[in-house]
Amino acid sequence: MKKLFGLLLLLILSVGLVACSSKEVSNSGDGDADTGTDTPSSSDSSDTADSGEDGATITYWYWADNTEYSNKMQEIIKEFNETNDKGITVVGEEYPWDGGGYSETLFTAAMGGGGPDVSSFKLTSTPQFVANGLLANLDNFIADWDDKGDINDNLYNVMKQASGSENIYVMPWNTQILYVYYRPSIFEEADVEVPTTYEEFLTAIEKTTLDRNDDGRTDVYGFGMRGAKGGQEPWGSFIHGRGGSFEDMTTEESIAGMKDFVNLYEQGYVPPTATTDGFNEIIANFKSGRTAMTIHHTGSSAEMVETFGDDVSAFAFPPGEGQWTSMGDTENVIFESSKNKEAAFEWVSYLATGKGQEEWTIATGNVPVSKKVQALDHFQNDRFMKASIDGASYAGILPILDTTTEWINTIWPNTIASSLMGDITPEEAMNTLQEELYK
Amino acid sequence: MLVSPALLIVTFVVFIPVIEAILMSFQNYDLRRPNDIGFIGLGNFIAIINDPQFWQAVKNTLIWVIAGVGLQFFFGFILALLLNQPFRGRGVVRAVSLIPWATPGVLIGLMWKWIYDGNYGVLNDLMYKLHFIDQFIPFLSQTSTAFPSVIVTIIWQGIPFFAIMILAGLQGISQEMYEAADIDGASRMQKLFRITIPSLKNVIFITLLLRIIWVSNSVDIIYNMTGGGPSYSTQTLSVYIFNKATVLNLGYSSGMAIILMLLLSIVAIPYLRKSFKEG
Repeated sequence: MKKLFGLLLLLILSVGLVACSSKEVSNSGDGDADTGTDTPSSSDSSDTADSGEDGATITYWYWADNTEYSNKMQEIIKEFNETNDKGITVVGEEYPWDGGGYSETLFTAAMGGGGPDVSSFKLTSTPQFVANGLLANLDNFIADWDDKGDINDNLYNVMKQASGSENIYVMPWNTQILYVYYRPSIFEEADVEVPTTYEEFLTAIEKTTLDRNDDGRTDVYGFGMRGAKGGQEPWGSFIHGRGGSFEDMTTEESIAGMKDFVNLYEQGYVPPTATTDGFNEIIANFKSGRTAMTIHHTGSSAEMVETFGDDVSAFAFPPGEGQWTSMGDTENVIFESSKNKEAAFEWVSYLATGKGQEEWTIATGNVPVSKKVQALDHFQNDRFMKASIDGASYAGILPILDTTTEWINTIWPNTIASSLMGDITPEEAMNTLQEELYK
Repeated sequence: MLVSPALLIVTFVVFIPVIEAILMSFQNYDLRRPNDIGFIGLGNFIAIINDPQFWQAVKNTLIWVIAGVGLQFFFGFILALLLNQPFRGRGVVRAVSLIPWATPGVLIGLMWKWIYDGNYGVLNDLMYKLHFIDQFIPFLSQTSTAFPSVIVTIIWQGIPFFAIMILAGLQGISQEMYEAADIDGASRMQKLFRITIPSLKNVIFITLLLRIIWVSNSVDIIYNMTGGGPSYSTQTLSVYIFNKATVLNLGYSSGMAIILMLLLSIVAIPYLRKSFKEG
């Protein structure tokens, strides 16, 4: 009787497992229904590939910062599905960015064999994905592509630099070039002009730090410093402002830039929470009028205008001994495991230079990579886009090494916090940052 | 035969991952450098022992557990004694006091992060309006206050657990013992130390052991409040393991996880022995 019961239990478990497997397939089907397209499930895509790529179905992972962007991406996908002449169907699957957790989810899925055909991507993840053979080499696709010249050669070089090889694994999509947001009314109150040099910028930070009622409590801080992860991008502008560089952060010039950064904190020109302030904090501080300036990209411009109307503007990070600003980036990649690479390239090229490029960059306020889209009036007449475009000539990225993620996530914020609070000197901080990035 | 499904599940969910972690701890298993993956013997453990961040994390873990669990127990005990007294609305108070324990750790982390916020936090606002401070304090942004702040949070979360467990123990103590003590003229403190605490010995032992293990392993509150910063001042061993694992240095993080497991075994073995004896 016991044996019989045991066998029955095993049978039930087996049936349960089969049922679960079946549910995964039907769930994928449900996902298709959500996109509003009549498509087979993603698990069918390999079958489609076997019979040729026309009419192929490809899965596309992406993140969206808000529901508006999310809806826009679904619209772009729908439009592509309806208009492409090869019968390609894109199935969009949205995942949260989760402070970079998206890349980890994507990596885990791809390593486990369950990743998509195409995904939105950040350059910093390139070495990790390339080292594990997960990304398709796009060299031949790009060489044969009619729109190749619509994207600046410099961008292709950045893509190659990211992979650490002469191959392109990442397809440009849009960039976010950091610039300085400022409040014209506070500049006027402090009798400060828009800075044209790095030195003037530092002076402007000092002068726009205001104690309006002389109660000993700072009402407006000159600059919204970001000490949490992500802060390495605006910080890099200070290092380059004194002629330093990421290649050698132990030079006198780099250390001088670091000293400027620390000095802002020590002198009380930035909020005392700067050591741990992240994106949300610097934006909240700027929007509440607690800071006069902060550094971010066009992704925030709509909400800034919504809050301040005309009392917010932007300027490109001004030149000192050197000049640099961070080029944030979002690209697309095709996975090596995809059996529909040609169809996948049709989709990523639609996003890079086609209608998808125009619609997405207009909706998100990101800087387009397509020259013909950049030339549209929409981009030429926008003050924030102008600051972005002004910075494009000296925008760059952090060295992308296999240590970069850890350096960004833990080494940089903790080392900078130690230095800001005086636990270590700027020299010691820069030595640590250099050693940890290039170890 | 009947226990085989349970055994299978335990094997897959517990034993295999543990063995996998042990094997990984002896390998240079860093997915950022997949070509270098391979057996390195005690290499990870030697690197860990020479890592100043590891020792800082061990120190932080000890403070986190001793201060966190100790004060949870202290306040939980007092709360249990209060809740054991008959008063109007006792049921409601008992239910409300459970809220911190029933709240997810991630939510607690976010909630307290905002309470402590150095620009807009309610705690700063309250202290400023009451003229206790003349400048807002960046509680989570400076090393001197960040760790005490997160410890207060874990204490807040854990008090109800101790309170409920001890309350259940209190209700199992025979009233006749207290009556006999009253007849003998025992004071309240004598009753507490001669009857109440000895009767709760088993409950206190089990509760403390369990909570020490849970708090040592807890990541959610610290990670959501500070991520281990600023300047690694709130990085406990479990947070350090998590941080290393998320940058895919799985060999190194497994090595630290094994060390943490061994340290916790010192606490867990008496618990397991007691459980087996009772079983």
